[in-house]
Amino acid sequence: MVPAVKISVEAVTKTFGTKDAVTALAGVDLKVSAGEFVSIVGPSGCGKSTLLYMLGGFLPPSGGKLLVGGNPVRKPGVDRGIVFQEYALFPWLTVYENIAYGLRMLKRPPEQIKATVQRYIDVIGLGGFEQRFPRELSGGMKQRVALARTFVYEPEILLLDEPFGALDAQTREIMQDELLRLWQSSRMTVLMVTHDVNEAVYLSDRVCVMSKRPGRIVEEFKVALDRELGRETLVLSESYSSIRNAVWLSVRHQVNAGGAAA
Amino acid sequence: MRRCLNAMKLLGARAAPIAALLAIWQLAVSLRLVNADFLPSPYAISVAGVDLVRGGELWSNLGLTLLASFGGLALALLIGVPAGMLMAKSRVADSVLGPLVKATYSLPKTALIPLFFLWFGIGATTDMVAVMLACLLPLLVYAHHGVQAVPRVLVWSAECMGTPPARIFYAIELPASLAAILTGLRIALGFSFVLAISAEMIAAKSGIGRLMVEYGENGSYDYMFAAVSAIVIVAFAADRGLIALTAHALRWQEPHHSAGAA
Repeated sequence: MVPAVKISVEAVTKTFGTKDAVTALAGVDLKVSAGEFVSIVGPSGCGKSTLLYMLGGFLPPSGGKLLVGGNPVRKPGVDRGIVFQEYALFPWLTVYENIAYGLRMLKRPPEQIKATVQRYIDVIGLGGFEQRFPRELSGGMKQRVALARTFVYEPEILLLDEPFGALDAQTREIMQDELLRLWQSSRMTVLMVTHDVNEAVYLSDRVCVMSKRPGRIVEEFKVALDRELGRETLVLSESYSSIRNAVWLSVRHQVNAGGAAA
Repeated sequence: MRRCLNAMKLLGARAAPIAALLAIWQLAVSLRLVNADFLPSPYAISVAGVDLVRGGELWSNLGLTLLASFGGLALALLIGVPAGMLMAKSRVADSVLGPLVKATYSLPKTALIPLFFLWFGIGATTDMVAVMLACLLPLLVYAHHGVQAVPRVLVWSAECMGTPPARIFYAIELPASLAAILTGLRIALGFSFVLAISAEMIAAKSGIGRLMVEYGENGSYDYMFAAVSAIVIVAFAADRGLIALTAHALRWQEPHHSAGAA
């Protein structure tokens, strides 16, 4: 059985401003199947985050079609959860209240909210931090809360906007494995934007490389790696290196395209 | 115990310059370096103050002044904050209110007091309207800037978790701009006393401003100074109270955001 297409991006363009308009995206085509984990990598400023914001329903496209579950995207909705690089936690709410927020908006019964939130707090290892404010947490802890508060209300689609970009290398690896674990137990559809080639290859089923602005998808790589092997074996394996190198070269070509290296 | 001792030391250090000034003042009057008819000694002022308190004259007048200042401030808060927030949200509100704000921003509000006497008569209504008008602008301007500076990812996160627009306004944008609003409130608090006293000094049947003018005209400068001292003490206490309230209300704020309160 061929899995259903969950996200469909058809010839989507985006221009900002009217006078001296900047074209951020020039005809992007992308299809993501249900349960698939797809990453978009590309030079900075190529419009990859813009694509994600349009799928989130925060920005309207200038042209083309954006479909989620077959329906055109018009506004933000609880079927799509988004995690930002800057965490975007509500700083005036405690860890517990941040994670409970989505469930409260969905008007779930209090006992259910309590049980679900507590379960996720345990999963992300932040037991004892329930009543702390985000300011009291490290970057890694904040991103754990950001992931938990999105996973907790079980959106069908997860949009990740450079989710680990603000973390140090070690914390980033830990968080990637945490994301993998959360995703494997939920099997939601994931679209992640990142500039980290290793991260994209390590996590995704498919990696799309985007060109410099105006952005379009120029190359796609299918990643068929056995994640059961664990990080060390996987990252040191021949198959991982070859695909990583191929993606890296492709991105590098895009960065250097046109001579003006960023 | 140690903390209590340190707090007392700090208080001592803060109070020392004021105590020194009072001592020099007292000495200058006692040694007849200045004429006590024109500058009463701190001791004479405190005797007059005790007399005003015992006679009940202070409480009734102070009550009226505080009614005007806090009443006007409360009205300004209720009108200015939503109006300022709305200006940041709606282009229509901005184009209607923006020019009004710009035109009246530099206008000395005390200049309008005689006009208010004409419209509302001599009394609490006029005083309160004058205070309200002066406090309105800082609250409105700070609320406006506060909402403008709310990170868009906070609003987007809330939208994507199913928060309705009205709720975004008071549950996300209000707390996110609370620091700016409280800064505006502190400025407005200072204005509220200036306007209340000024209005009473221009024309009133009672109030601390009226008391000051009356005793001044009679040449009872010790009583005039006692009235001045009363309002200085109250204004100082109100400001410190607001700072403590602000610190508590913003206890969740990231350290690098907190504006150093003096």
